[in-house]
Amino acid sequence: MPFIAVVDDEESVRKALRRLLRAAGLEAESYASGQEFLEHAAQREPDCVVLDLHMPSMSGRDLLPHIRRLATHPPVVVITAHDTPDNREECLAAGACAYLCKPLEDRLLLNAISAALRVNASRPKR
Amino acid sequence: MSGELARAFRHVRIDPGFLWPALVVAIGYYVAARLGFAFTLQPHPISTLWPPNALLMAALLLTPPRSWWVLLAAALPAHLLAELQSGVPLAMVLGWFASNCSEALIGAALVRWCIAAPVRLDSLRSAGLLLLLGGLAAPLASSFLDAALVKLIGFGEGEYWTLVRMRFSSNVLAEITIVPLVLAWAGWRPATVRAMSLARRVEVAALFLGLLTVSLVAFDLPLFGANLAPALWYAPLPFLLWAVVRLGVIGTTSSLAVLVVATIWGAVHGLGPFPGGTPQDTARDLQLFLIAASVPLLLLAVALEERSRAEREAHEQRLQLTHLSRVAMLGEMSGGLAHELNQPLTAILSNAQAAEHLIANKTIDNQELREILRDIISSNQRAGEIIRRLRALFKRGETHLERLDANELVRETLSLAQGDLATRSIAPVLKLAPGALAIHGDRIQLEQVMLNLILNAAEAMAAHTAAERTLTVRSAGNDSWVYVSFADRGPGFAPELIEKLFEPFYTTKPQGLGLGLSISRSIMRAHGGRLWGASHAAHGASFHIALPAVRAG
Repeated sequence: MPFIAVVDDEESVRKALRRLLRAAGLEAESYASGQEFLEHAAQREPDCVVLDLHMPSMSGRDLLPHIRRLATHPPVVVITAHDTPDNREECLAAGACAYLCKPLEDRLLLNAISAALRVNASRPKR
Repeated sequence: MSGELARAFRHVRIDPGFLWPALVVAIGYYVAARLGFAFTLQPHPISTLWPPNALLMAALLLTPPRSWWVLLAAALPAHLLAELQSGVPLAMVLGWFASNCSEALIGAALVRWCIAAPVRLDSLRSAGLLLLLGGLAAPLASSFLDAALVKLIGFGEGEYWTLVRMRFSSNVLAEITIVPLVLAWAGWRPATVRAMSLARRVEVAALFLGLLTVSLVAFDLPLFGANLAPALWYAPLPFLLWAVVRLGVIGTTSSLAVLVVATIWGAVHGLGPFPGGTPQDTARDLQLFLIAASVPLLLLAVALEERSRAEREAHEQRLQLTHLSRVAMLGEMSGGLAHELNQPLTAILSNAQAAEHLIANKTIDNQELREILRDIISSNQRAGEIIRRLRALFKRGETHLERLDANELVRETLSLAQGDLATRSIAPVLKLAPGALAIHGDRIQLEQVMLNLILNAAEAMAAHTAAERTLTVRSAGNDSWVYVSFADRGPGFAPELIEKLFEPFYTTKPQGLGLGLSISRSIMRAHGGRLWGASHAAHGASFHIALPAVRAG
C-alpha cells in the first residue's frame, strides 16, 4: 500500500486529508511543518508528498528542494489555498508533479497522486 | 361687465397647492393685525410692533414668486376685516394695505435675489442679508410710502419725518423678530421632538419656564421701582444666551419672541422698566432695546449653528474616509481572506468525501461518522465567523464605543489577518500581558488600526526568506495606559521618515494610497490614545499604540 505524507500547517485540513486518503485505501500520515516532516522522512520516506504551499517559517516552496534530495525522490503534489500563476510556475519548475487548489476535489487529488506514483515507479532509482 | 371680467380672467389659474398657504396667510395676517393693535401704547397712534407685514414677508420667502399674488390677495380680506373694525377710513385702510404689501414684496424680492431658494438661516451670510435687506431696507422704503399716504389722505396727526421714524422702528422690530421666527419654525419637523432625549426635553422646558418667569418678574409684574430699571433689562440675558448656545436658531428666535411679547405687554399695561416718559419715548426705548438684543443674539445663534454643522460634516467625512480606507485595505487582503476561507472549505469537502468513500466501502462506523460530522460543523462555524467579522469590517457605521479587552482585540485581528500572513509564510509571535487589558473604544476602528499595522509589517518583510519573517505582537498595561506593539524584522526606515509616514498620501508602497497610517493615527487620537513608530536599524521597525486604560469595576 503506497505511503502518502500530508504536510499542512492547518490542523483541520491535515486531519481531513489524512482521513480522505485512508478512506481511499492509501496509507497516510500528516505533519504540521516542513521540519516535522523531514525528521520523520529520515526514518521512513513516503511514496508521495501532498504539500501545502503557504506555511510559516518553512514554506512548501522552501521544502521542495529538501524533498528532492531524499533518497527515494518522492513525487510532490502541491496544494494551496492561495493560487497565483507565479506560484504554479515556480512549483512545477522546482519539481512538483502537480499543483492543485483548495478546496480539493477528491477525484483530482487521488488522480494526481496515482499519476505521481506511476511516474515515480517508472523512474530509475539512485 | 361681468362677461368682460370673466373673459379677462379666463387664463388665470390658481394652483390648488397655493390654497392652504393662502388660508394660513389670511388667518395669520388677521391674528397678527389684532396683536399689532394690542401692542399699541395708547394714545400713541402706531403699534410698538406691527407683525402683519413681517408675517407676509416670511410667507413670500417660503413660497415661489408665482404664488405671491395669491398670498397678497388672501391678506386683503384679513386686512379689511381687522382695520375696518377700528373705524379707519377706507382710503387709509387701502393705503396701509399697499404699504404693508410693498414692504413684504420689497424685502422678499431683495432677499430672494441675493439668496438662492429655499431661504434658510443656515449661514451667517444669509442671516446677515435677511436682516439687512428684509429687516432694514424693506421697512425703510415702505415707511416713506406709509407716511406719505397718511399725509396725502390726511388721516391722523404728526409730522412726516416723525411718522417715518415711528413706522420704521415698529416695522424693523417686527421684521427682525418675526421673519426669522417663522423661517426657523417652517423647517421644524415633529420627528425632531420624538428624537429628543428626556434630558433635552427637560432642558428645553426649564429654559422656557425660566425665561418666562424672569420676563414676567422683570417686565410684567409691579414688583420693582423705576430705580432698578437698568438691572431688569438684563435679567433675561442668561436664559437668552442659554437658548443661543444650546437650542440653535429655532430656540433663539422663540426665546426672543417670548422676550418681545413680555416686554411690550408690560409696557402697554404701564409695567416694567420702560414706561415713564411719553408713549413715543416708551415705544422708542422698548424698540431700541429689543432690536439691540435680537440682532446680535440671532447672528450668534446662526454662527454657532453654522460652525457645529461644519464640524458635523467634517466628522461625517472623516467617518467616510475611515470606511473607504478600511474597504481598500480589505481589498488588498482579498488573497489572504480567500486563503483563510478556503481552509475550512477544504476541511469540509475532504471530510464529506472521506465519509462517501467509507460508506461506499461499507467500512464506516457510527463513531467515525460522528467525528467527521463534528469536524465538518466546526469548520463551518469557523468559516461563518470569518464572514461575520468581514461583514462587520465592511459595514459603514457610526462610532460605537464599548469596553474591550486589548488582548482579545489583538487575537481577533490576527485571526482576520491569518490568511494574509499565511500566504506570506509569517507566523506571528504573541507576547501578550497575562489577563485582560480593559480599554474603551470602537471595536471595528481599533481592529482597522491593528490590521493596518500588521499588513504594513508583513509587507515590510516581503523581500526576506520565510525563516526571517517574524512579526512580534506585544501587549502591556499599567493603571493609566494599555500598550500594544507590532514589531517586524524588515529593513526599518530612515529616522527622518518617522513622522512623514503619518502624513496623508505619503507612501512607500507602489500601490499604496498613503492613508493607512494617517487615518490610524486620527482614530487613535479620537480614542484619546497615541500611535507612533520606531526604527531599529537592522532589527526592523515597530509601531506602538497606547490607549487609556479602563480601571476594573
